[in-house]
Amino acid sequence: MDLVPTPYELPRSAVGRSVRRPVRRMKRPIQGRRIGGVCVGLAEHLGLNVRYVRLAFVLACLGGGAGIVAYLFLWALTPQSLGAPAVAGADAVAGSQPAEESVRNLVVGLGLVVVGGALYAQQRGVNLHLGVLIPLLAMAGGAVLAWSKLDDAERDRWLVQDMGSGGRRAGLLRLGIGIALASIGVVVLATQGLGLAGLWSVGIAALAVLAGAALIAAPWGMRLWGDLRAEQAQRIRQTERADIAAHLHDSVLQTLALIQRKSGDPAAVVRLARAQERELRGWLYAGPLGSQATLASAVTEVAHEVEDLHGIPIELVVTGDRRLDDGGTVLVRALREALLNAARHGSPPVSVYVEVGLELVQAFVRDHGPGFDIADVPQDRLGVRESILGRMSRHGGSAGVRRLEHGTEVCISLPVRPASLSVGQPATVAEPDTEGTG
Amino acid sequence: MSQPGSWHTTSTRLVLVDDHRMFRSGVKAELDESMVIVGEAADVDEAIVVVAQTRPDVVLLDVHLPGGNGNGGSDVITGSAGVTTESGEPVRFLALSVSDAAEDVIAVIRAGARGYVTKTIYGQDLTDAIRRVADGDAVFSPRLAGFVLDAFGAAAGEVAVIDEELDRLSAREREVMRLIARGYQYKEVAKELFISIKTVETHVSSVLRKLQLSSRHELTAWAVGRHLL
Repeated sequence: MDLVPTPYELPRSAVGRSVRRPVRRMKRPIQGRRIGGVCVGLAEHLGLNVRYVRLAFVLACLGGGAGIVAYLFLWALTPQSLGAPAVAGADAVAGSQPAEESVRNLVVGLGLVVVGGALYAQQRGVNLHLGVLIPLLAMAGGAVLAWSKLDDAERDRWLVQDMGSGGRRAGLLRLGIGIALASIGVVVLATQGLGLAGLWSVGIAALAVLAGAALIAAPWGMRLWGDLRAEQAQRIRQTERADIAAHLHDSVLQTLALIQRKSGDPAAVVRLARAQERELRGWLYAGPLGSQATLASAVTEVAHEVEDLHGIPIELVVTGDRRLDDGGTVLVRALREALLNAARHGSPPVSVYVEVGLELVQAFVRDHGPGFDIADVPQDRLGVRESILGRMSRHGGSAGVRRLEHGTEVCISLPVRPASLSVGQPATVAEPDTEGTG
Repeated sequence: MSQPGSWHTTSTRLVLVDDHRMFRSGVKAELDESMVIVGEAADVDEAIVVVAQTRPDVVLLDVHLPGGNGNGGSDVITGSAGVTTESGEPVRFLALSVSDAAEDVIAVIRAGARGYVTKTIYGQDLTDAIRRVADGDAVFSPRLAGFVLDAFGAAAGEVAVIDEELDRLSAREREVMRLIARGYQYKEVAKELFISIKTVETHVSSVLRKLQLSSRHELTAWAVGRHLL
């Protein structure tokens, strides 16, 4: 309902309200009510003691039932509020009593009184026209049963139970029984003494009446429906906000706390900040893509791992994508080794470009260190020779190390079979990292 | 114009547009003395006024800005159309973004920005990028290059037969883009391909033009389908 404040909402009085006098609408509080909360709400609205209001309604009921009509009218037209009433005389004891229970008590009590009265009158020899009375009672019972389904508080509960179908089925059953009971009452009442022949014309008349009633009740139904939609939207929004808040708390706030504690260690701060940035970006933008085992996601994962290990920013660009197969795994392992070398021996920024073509996957790892020649590397050092060059040639690919003016570049390429072609998305450029520098 | 030495002879008049004051002061502290900051703005409407008043060489433009029609940096570029510097050159825009959402970056480039860099760029690189844009050249980050390769199908082997074809990259442009994506500076690209830096800049500008003018279907589809650039 519109009275539940959300922690992220601006104060309602902040904008626009100051120029216009706020319109006070009557509401029916849940707490402190006896039946539908109309008396409490009215008392609150008019600033009267709720006892006098209730008394007035009871008196009005005695005088030809006008009170009942007025009560139902107000009940249907006023929205419900979840807050406690700010009115004298609304006792707290009643407030703790569930609304449904009070309705049920009322119905059962009324029923008992009517049945008792009927039996007593019958004994005294008064003709009660039971043929009229019983259908009338059936109609009333059915209406109460069906209408109680439409009470706001009930509706709330109904919505919540929507998830578990059991509660919903029970609600529908009640509604169905109520409508059936009322209809039977109407038909029996209308066809008294007419027999089957009269049923037809009575049926048409009943349909006409129903159509008229539907026409009259339409605005009310629309309001209910609108309420329902607004409420659902609000609920979804609240859930989303809560999700975001929870995520930010678990991730960003924790990391910020860690960063404050480690402020003396710049490397750790950078690492934490980057890891958090990645995580947040992944959460904000990634969507369902990351769940697939693709070459691009594997490459991204490896780059992040090395980043975390060494605290060096790695600029990663991937074009194209394909399913991760054995060849792809080999390429990713070689790439990891090259990245580790770049992080250990080179200097940042480290750039990775992986191009997934139709027949060839190429990966380039570039650092800006002093550079080295493969010929100068001692024979017993296996990192580059075995993990990169050897591994790639064993699996039908190739690798090479180039010495540039500033830094080193490792090129890895692997022919792929077009059979296990791309995974269907146009391309993947992995999550953004630090821009390169010169 | 393209020689690094010539850049230092004149100062570049700069306007900073970013809604985060902290970021603006950080940029100011990082730029060297050849950059003169003649104005600052925090939203679209303010930016359009400041650009029209100061007529700077380059506007450093955040992609995400409040105000205007809600399109952020693109609105500033559209609103400043026709504004020229004192020497009659058009005012040029360099887009800065932290979001890297492809649709944002593509929108601001197609609106007319001469380049795109991320906000984590180092000080010297930013200075170089601003100078390059002031000279009328384009600035491509590795990520933007990767995007171009993808969106134009160049990674999959599509190559334009004639250079003027708007929907494809020429073989040379593809080579340049690939090297930029690999983290090469313009001068390294030039050395690698045995061409002059000026030629590299010509290729990059031509790719930028294609990016701005091409109606290639994949361009928008890619940007919408991918959240990340």
